[in-house]
Amino acid sequence: MSSVSRHPASFKDPAGYVFEARGSVLRQVNKVYAGQYQLLMQSGLYTRLTTEKKLLLHSELSENITGDEEWYTTLLPEQLSFISYPYEWSFDELKDAALLTLSVLRTSIEYGMILKDATPFNIQFHKGRPVFIDTLSFDLYNPAEPWVAYRQFCETFLFPLYLEHYLKIDCIKLLSTYLTGIPVEVTAKMLPTKSKWSLGVRLHVMLQNNIKNNKTSSQSKAVFSKQKLLNVVSHLESIFQSLTAGYPAVTTWSNYYEETILGKEYLLHKEALVKKICSALSYRTIVDLGANDGYFTRLLAEKDKLVIAADIDSRCINTLYQYTKEHSLSNIIALIADLSNPAPAVGFNNTERSSFQARLKPDLVLALALVHHLVIGKNIPLALLAPYFASFAPQLIIEFVPKEDEKVKQLLSTRKDIFSDYHETAFEHYFLQHFTIQAKEIITGTSRILYCLVRK
Amino acid sequence: MILNTILLYVDPGSGSYLIQVIIAAILGALFYIKNLWWQIKAFFTRSKKEEPPKNNTPDE
Repeated sequence: MSSVSRHPASFKDPAGYVFEARGSVLRQVNKVYAGQYQLLMQSGLYTRLTTEKKLLLHSELSENITGDEEWYTTLLPEQLSFISYPYEWSFDELKDAALLTLSVLRTSIEYGMILKDATPFNIQFHKGRPVFIDTLSFDLYNPAEPWVAYRQFCETFLFPLYLEHYLKIDCIKLLSTYLTGIPVEVTAKMLPTKSKWSLGVRLHVMLQNNIKNNKTSSQSKAVFSKQKLLNVVSHLESIFQSLTAGYPAVTTWSNYYEETILGKEYLLHKEALVKKICSALSYRTIVDLGANDGYFTRLLAEKDKLVIAADIDSRCINTLYQYTKEHSLSNIIALIADLSNPAPAVGFNNTERSSFQARLKPDLVLALALVHHLVIGKNIPLALLAPYFASFAPQLIIEFVPKEDEKVKQLLSTRKDIFSDYHETAFEHYFLQHFTIQAKEIITGTSRILYCLVRK
Repeated sequence: MILNTILLYVDPGSGSYLIQVIIAAILGALFYIKNLWWQIKAFFTRSKKEEPPKNNTPDE
């Protein structure tokens, strides 16, 4: 069937798979999962979880679109605007995803079901909050057995957060290498000595590591109970509640706008210019690259728009996520991305999880106070930046910060100036090969230029 | 309905069930001790107002 394309990440679970057809992302339920699916729908679990906005809504299509013999039913889930991956999330985003997973697990147990897997790839940020998207994760619960996905849960949620909590460095990004989770033996070796005073680390990391290393221990199925499982879940919940990001108070970018030597006048004029330029454009999805704490992200996040805010600084992205949570903003997705090394395509056949760049399909791209960092900070020539932006930005609002600017002087103060073609004329030379100028404005009190470019 | 183990496609991992049994036992013991401590404390302070905490999870 040429019109059906199976999602490259949907191959592990025999219960069904995700595919694209007729311009929508659909999910097939296979016959083998019919019993579990019926229980999910008829027990009231689906209604409870979707009412609480914890599980993605779907409608059922009675048509066998794939033509598969294993077909039982087809689901049309509520469509997601953007897919992000855990290694692009900040501390509190992964923490909230973990707490959501435990909450879904706890509710499932009430209804006689359990999660048969527990990975952050089952969660997406949708309408300003994490939501569980894998409708086929629910299995029948046998109280005599412990949780089959416990190890997976620890390795994909608990261990990255433990590492970040105790080491106070960005560890969540390790999940792009350890796609199935950071192994317990790796976590045990990385955690500092002081962490071993924690009961949670003792039990879930050290003890688990010791048991794993003890080859004589059998996979014994000692009698378990529902109360025992709920005790383990409660303990995990209390651990997550106690974990904090431990980001340094000030990072390179965290107070960029507050402390900017350019002053408030600069920011206000820039804001007015961006508003004016945007009023003349037509767009729905915006990507704000180098979003910092999301000052302009918030400005553009009007009701019918979706803004994907990306920044290299995890603290800024965490702050923005907290802000969107506190203000119930449903149209901002905050992600950590280093544009000189964005999330690559990873997993089986390098297609399981697509690259950050491949997922960007914006109508408008914002690149404010960014170009000088890419050119002078990362040695990416303007000649390469112009086709880079043209590859995904149909419309581009970009700020050019020339060498006379204080920020650029700071960047050049510690290194040799090898950037002979970093000036306004060269900027326009390279960018006008791919774009036309819609607007060009000098920002008050500075030598910075704001361009609105439209792709040829 | 019959439990379909084919669908448990995630490898629980070596010792993963055993660790949960042990953790559950330790948490149960800690909960017992914590409750006992609250009862002893309540007895000596002769205060009826103090109740054991509802949360049965040992502190992290």
